[in-house]
Amino acid sequence: MLIAIRDLHRVYQVGTEEVHALNGVSLDIERNEYLAIMGPSGSGKSTLMNIVGCLDTPSAGSYKLMDREIGALSDDELASIRNQEIGFVFQTFNLLPRADALHNVELPLIYAGLKHEERRRRAKETLELVGLGDRMKHRPNELSGGQRQRVAIARALVNGPSIILADEPTGNLDSATGAEIMAAFERIWEQGNTVILVTHEADIAAHARRVVRMRDGRIEGDGPNPGRQGGPPVAAA
Amino acid sequence: MNLRESMGIALGALRANKLRSFLTLLGTIIGVGSVIFVLSVVEGLNRYVSEKILNAGANVFWIDKYGLITSDEAFQEAQKRPDITIEDADALRLTLRHARMVVAMADATAPVRQRNKVVRGVGIRGRGAGYDVVDDLAIDQGRHLTEFDDRRRQMVCVIGPEIAEELFPGLEAVGRLVRIRDWTFEIVGVTKAKGKLLGESQDRFVAIPIHTFQKYWQARGSFYISIKSVDQPSLPVVEQEARNVMRARHHLPPGRADDFALSTAETFLELYRNITGGVFALMIGVAVISLVVGGIVIMNIMLVSVTERTREIGVRKALGARRRDILTQFLAEASTLSLAGGLVGIGLGVVFALLIGLVSPLPSAVSVPSLFLGLAMSGLVGVFFGSYPAWRASRLDPIEALRYE
Repeated sequence: MLIAIRDLHRVYQVGTEEVHALNGVSLDIERNEYLAIMGPSGSGKSTLMNIVGCLDTPSAGSYKLMDREIGALSDDELASIRNQEIGFVFQTFNLLPRADALHNVELPLIYAGLKHEERRRRAKETLELVGLGDRMKHRPNELSGGQRQRVAIARALVNGPSIILADEPTGNLDSATGAEIMAAFERIWEQGNTVILVTHEADIAAHARRVVRMRDGRIEGDGPNPGRQGGPPVAAA
Repeated sequence: MNLRESMGIALGALRANKLRSFLTLLGTIIGVGSVIFVLSVVEGLNRYVSEKILNAGANVFWIDKYGLITSDEAFQEAQKRPDITIEDADALRLTLRHARMVVAMADATAPVRQRNKVVRGVGIRGRGAGYDVVDDLAIDQGRHLTEFDDRRRQMVCVIGPEIAEELFPGLEAVGRLVRIRDWTFEIVGVTKAKGKLLGESQDRFVAIPIHTFQKYWQARGSFYISIKSVDQPSLPVVEQEARNVMRARHHLPPGRADDFALSTAETFLELYRNITGGVFALMIGVAVISLVVGGIVIMNIMLVSVTERTREIGVRKALGARRRDILTQFLAEASTLSLAGGLVGIGLGVVFALLIGLVSPLPSAVSVPSLFLGLAMSGLVGVFFGSYPAWRASRLDPIEALRYE
């Protein structure tokens, strides 16, 4: 089991009031699943994503990533897990504006402690994989929205993580470019990666093979996506 | 983390906004610049003065009525002391076994004329025979003043090359006559040029026999005595002997303080060091204040930078940056900033020091250790004042930072 979540709670203190963002969530995710977490804003899907992405730790309950209990880890250990196991793709791309595409993709490798030449080589390979081999020296402001998101995807992939975690990855893109990005996720999944989409858009969630619906900090529904048939191609093979 | 990357970011930001960077770094620039400048000038002065004073007066000490007087009361008190006389010098010459030379001296200032030419403000030096040894004067043309000149109160003089050049440009000065105040003197010698000491020419003087000086300028009043020992080790012995002789001549019982002053080149060097030490301390104080102000400005800019780049910090953390990675990055940026300021400051300090050396009598010598000191100081300012902003950056919560607009 890649991810095992049991009775997860996350409570925020807002002023004197306690807000239960997650209220007893249990969820298992296998390797090479293509999963969408859906729900309206305030449903707790972002909180769940933050915890799955090791940016946040649960108030109660258990989150095991590859059999490691995440709640017990220190800040630096969490950073190391984010670096090695998680690839983030954000709605607003979150590329460093002053750095070119290549350097942006190199960032996780810098924190992984890789040598310069190795970093270069792997970042180039990954950028070529997302079809940006000819845009490596371009800065984010010289790239289109779709190209920026592909740089971000390359950055998420470059360190070979266990999970690609995408938060509204098409939210800032027009529908044609959005489709292009979703095609990219499809390919990534087909190559054996685990992809988790967090979205409130039904037609984006429709690309996933499994959909988890959330409301009020609880899981409301969890099942295979009826529109998409077939299991993971790699797992099947 | 990648130091080169952090320094690149800092340098990029410097380039992107030159005026803001300059203003940001002004404190550091002034601080480091003034340290380099002051150290260079003081270093130059020290070297110069030690060399000149110690060489000129090697193994020489002086006995005079006043010594180094720094207050009005001390001066009033010292005026009651007995005058130092030429006879004191004669007595010392007879008694001191380790003295190479004992010379009675007195100084005055007067205009020197030749026909219609006048040189004003010339130092008139009354000198006993042997003055060339203690004053470290070499003859260029003619001869020195002699014992015979002195005994006979001859109206002869030895002049410095600057006087010779002004009164007799291109001509042989020896054998010619000059008028000093109302009296006519024959020039018997011209000394070799010695150059300037702290901007003051050492070649602008007229030396006459001390007894001649006594007869025409100073029938009464105090003289002073220069004594040169045969070598360095005997200097304290000679000093002690001279003190004993003078005390005996002034009938001082044991326990009474000296009623004359005995000073060495070291005495003057010490005074000089006290003065420059004060200037030095003051300027270092100014430099420290500028550095602190500069550091606070850098801290402010770094705090702004941390706020501006909250999102970037969030992204870096999401990608796996640990606290110390963020800390190092911002520390490296702050240090790069202040080191850049330090380099500019060093450049400016050196330029000013060299300029001062060119256009003023102050000699300056850029000391290499001071350059490293300047660099180290600016680096430390960066690390010290950058650490709080860097700490703040490293403590940011990645979720909040990512959400920051």
